[in-house]
Amino acid sequence: MLTDGRSRSFLDPQVLSRLAAVPLFARRPMVGNVSGVHASPHRGASVEFAEYRKYVPGDDLRRLDWRAYGRSDRFYIKEFEADTNLRCCLILDTSGSMKFGSGDVTKIEYARRLAGSLAYLAVQQGDAVGLTGVAETIVRTVPPRRTPSHLTGLFDMLEQSQPQGDTQLVSRLHELAETIRQRALIVILSDLFVEPAALQEAFEHLRFRKHDVVAFHLLDPLETGFTFQRPMRFLDMEGGASIFAEPNEIYDRYQKALSGYLAEMTRIVKAAAIDYHRVSIDEDYEKVLLRFLSARTRSGGLR
Amino acid sequence: MNFLQPAMLYALPLIALPVIIHLINQRRFRTIEWGAMMFLLAANRMSRGYARIRQWLILAARTLAIAGLLLAVSRPLSSGWMSLAAGGRADTTFILLDRSPSMQQRGPGGRSKLDSGREQLMQSLGLLRSNRWVLIDSANNRPIEIESPDVLANMIEAEGVSASADLPGLLQTVYDYVRENRPSRSEVWICSDVRQHDWDADSGRWQVLRDSFLELPQTVRFHLLAYPDIVPENRRLRVTSVRRVESTDGAELLVSLRIGQQTPVDGTVAIPVQLEVDGARSEIPVEMTGTEAELLNHAIPLDGQQTRGWGRVSIPADSNPADDEFYFVYDQPAARKTIVVTDDPAAVRPLELAAGISPDASVAAIVETLAPDELVGVDWSDVSLVLWQSALPTDDAAALVDGLVNRGGQIVFFPPDTPTDAQFAGLSWGSWRDVDGEHPVRSWVGDQDVLANAASGASLPVGQLQVMRVCDLVGEQTALATLSDGAPLLARALTDQQNVYFCTTTPTVGESSLARDGVVLYVMIQRALTSGAESLGNTRQLIAGAVRADSTGDWQRLSGSGEALSTTYGVQSGVYQQGERLFAVNRSTEEDRPTVLADEQVAGLFGDLEFDRIDERAGSGNRLLEEIWRLFLMLMMAALFLEACLCIPRLTAAARESASRTSPSSPPFASSVSSSGGPADAEGAAA
Repeated sequence: MLTDGRSRSFLDPQVLSRLAAVPLFARRPMVGNVSGVHASPHRGASVEFAEYRKYVPGDDLRRLDWRAYGRSDRFYIKEFEADTNLRCCLILDTSGSMKFGSGDVTKIEYARRLAGSLAYLAVQQGDAVGLTGVAETIVRTVPPRRTPSHLTGLFDMLEQSQPQGDTQLVSRLHELAETIRQRALIVILSDLFVEPAALQEAFEHLRFRKHDVVAFHLLDPLETGFTFQRPMRFLDMEGGASIFAEPNEIYDRYQKALSGYLAEMTRIVKAAAIDYHRVSIDEDYEKVLLRFLSARTRSGGLR
Repeated sequence: MNFLQPAMLYALPLIALPVIIHLINQRRFRTIEWGAMMFLLAANRMSRGYARIRQWLILAARTLAIAGLLLAVSRPLSSGWMSLAAGGRADTTFILLDRSPSMQQRGPGGRSKLDSGREQLMQSLGLLRSNRWVLIDSANNRPIEIESPDVLANMIEAEGVSASADLPGLLQTVYDYVRENRPSRSEVWICSDVRQHDWDADSGRWQVLRDSFLELPQTVRFHLLAYPDIVPENRRLRVTSVRRVESTDGAELLVSLRIGQQTPVDGTVAIPVQLEVDGARSEIPVEMTGTEAELLNHAIPLDGQQTRGWGRVSIPADSNPADDEFYFVYDQPAARKTIVVTDDPAAVRPLELAAGISPDASVAAIVETLAPDELVGVDWSDVSLVLWQSALPTDDAAALVDGLVNRGGQIVFFPPDTPTDAQFAGLSWGSWRDVDGEHPVRSWVGDQDVLANAASGASLPVGQLQVMRVCDLVGEQTALATLSDGAPLLARALTDQQNVYFCTTTPTVGESSLARDGVVLYVMIQRALTSGAESLGNTRQLIAGAVRADSTGDWQRLSGSGEALSTTYGVQSGVYQQGERLFAVNRSTEEDRPTVLADEQVAGLFGDLEFDRIDERAGSGNRLLEEIWRLFLMLMMAALFLEACLCIPRLTAAARESASRTSPSSPPFASSVSSSGGPADAEGAAA
């Protein structure tokens, strides 16, 4: 499947091979242009019976149910469910804060792993995958394609994406909600350091456009634990003013602000019906993806 | 507060260590690029009140912990006497003990003021350091060097006596000691109940003492351990008179006594009074109303042959047992014999009359008038009083008069017409001069001696006397009556027995009105005669402390405290025998007046001297000085505990964070799989 044969730092073939056994399902019907594994809102030619409807002139006579005509002397058309592919739009936050990482891996690197793996899995099952990098603006966009060769360009973009600049995630999500024409699976990979209330509006906008929205909320353990022992000068990675703080003094208030933020985030994702995953970047990304995929497998899709 | 290891206080700047560490820590900050600035900004916007207070409290607790440790190792002493010693070593420490009867007043637990004070001093002074310890007790008034304050527990010189204290005298002894031995620094600890009588606050000696101590080059500091509280219900007993009279059945003893207390009793209270006469005991009830009860001439039958003896009166013990008993002795009254020595018998007629009229009809008064050269042939053994209006005695006559004076006889000198240079008892006559003014007597001693007020409290009409001529008196004396120009009218020579008087005028008309206004002359002579007669009798009522200690060596105790040594008989109440003579020793009349000096008065007595006081109560268990390092250790532990408590939330959060690192599914990432809107999402969320 990796057509160029180059190894990517964010791709692990073994992980991909293990995850390939679990299909990626959408939670909502998708409108694709080819046959696929996802439910479609339209009737199609699958083996799964959908409904009967009265014959109207112009219908294909091959779809008449002659047995029903024999029993009822009326013409009925037998309809079946349609299976289609999906359009998966990966939205990668490339703002400055994604550069942070207290351990071996930064948030942007972790996001690359998630995005690369998901892209590979989607293309493998015939879905179209696109990638959009957002910071203050939409940095770069690769439109969704389902060809394996398309992955090369997508991986290149992932590899080349550098975190810098301020976050304007909410504006960019609104923009994307308007520009992605068909319903799609939208996967957001970000630390979501924006006001939850504003984020809720963006999520609801996406939902309104009938997109299946997934959010991977990437947090570093140091950001949640705030385990500093000596006075620190905090430089804003997104270009803001620096702050000098005595961790012992500010710890409680920091934790209070963080807890409030996380609780608010939990509330809004429930309200906006977002598939939300809070991820600590010291966690194995394979487990995170497996948890994500298996949860969708159990739901089995929705027509 | 004082410290036994004050050098450790130099380490006190170490209490700034937490602050310094805090400041150093502030400067050793690290810089980090941080993404989650929104939480820091939110935290900065929140109220910082508690967090800031918590930090300050932690800093204060650490500072307190170090301070507590340093103060504990400095071995602090608790004391109300803040200026005490300042941790240094005194060269000489004086302990002045007031052993007067009032110090035997008991408090809760039955411990007397003296016992409490002694124990307080032992416990407290034991913690201090001094090169030399000197005890000066009120009964002996001489410095006794002791090994340490602990020996006070077993010293006879620290027990209670019946003699009053003389605080100015004790301080004078301190001054003399300091002046002679020149200690570098002295501490004077006074244990007293601050009674007016013992302190004699009106005495001019205090001014002299203040000036003397201030002039000393050495530092002398005074500390008063005062027990000023009074028990108003305390009753005191005093025998006012004892007379043996002949009766139809033989003889009987007429005893008069008085019982008093500070506050009036409710209604009438019968007080059982125990009488013991020559070993035979009886008890009579005396009804008390108000603040006083008096029993007058209670007759106790005696054997007709019994002419002399002793007795003891007591009431049930109360808060002060020292004033619950009284001793007396009785005897047939001796004849009151007076010798008038003069060159001019006609001029001494008023003196003869004043001495010849006895106030008691049953006692004969004999007056014999002699010329100075006729003295040799006189039997001096039964003479009570000599009235001498002639040139002062010299040679043999002086020896005779000395003998009389030494055995207690009284003598009053009046100026001769022609004074000589002869001296007696350090005094001599000067020249005659006229006195201006109709009533020239300015002042006189009305509380004691021959011009004392009457029993009713009325003063003698000394001020109404007219004095036209006086003869100057040369030498040091104690003035008992003073003229307006400062010259003495009546003076007492400075002798041990205090029984030599000089009157600077005569009763002769034209020189004074002593004869015309004869009350003063009569009272003066009769009082001198009574004192002289008492010295002749075989029985004497003595005031404790008024007897010379070296004169009691051959006394035998008939009744009284069994713990008294023969050398202390003179200051212990009781009945003693010396050959054929009987002595009853009792506390002074002033001991029955519980007048306590006000705090301001006491402070005023010490003036500019370094002085502090602490008031205690008899039976009080509080220690004056106590090592309180435990308190500071507890303070340190409390500070550390507080610091730990304030740090606990921080540690708990860190532990929670540590736990979250070890478990990926633990908060805040336990809810990492969130819900979505549809039924499938709900299932996913449940999973």
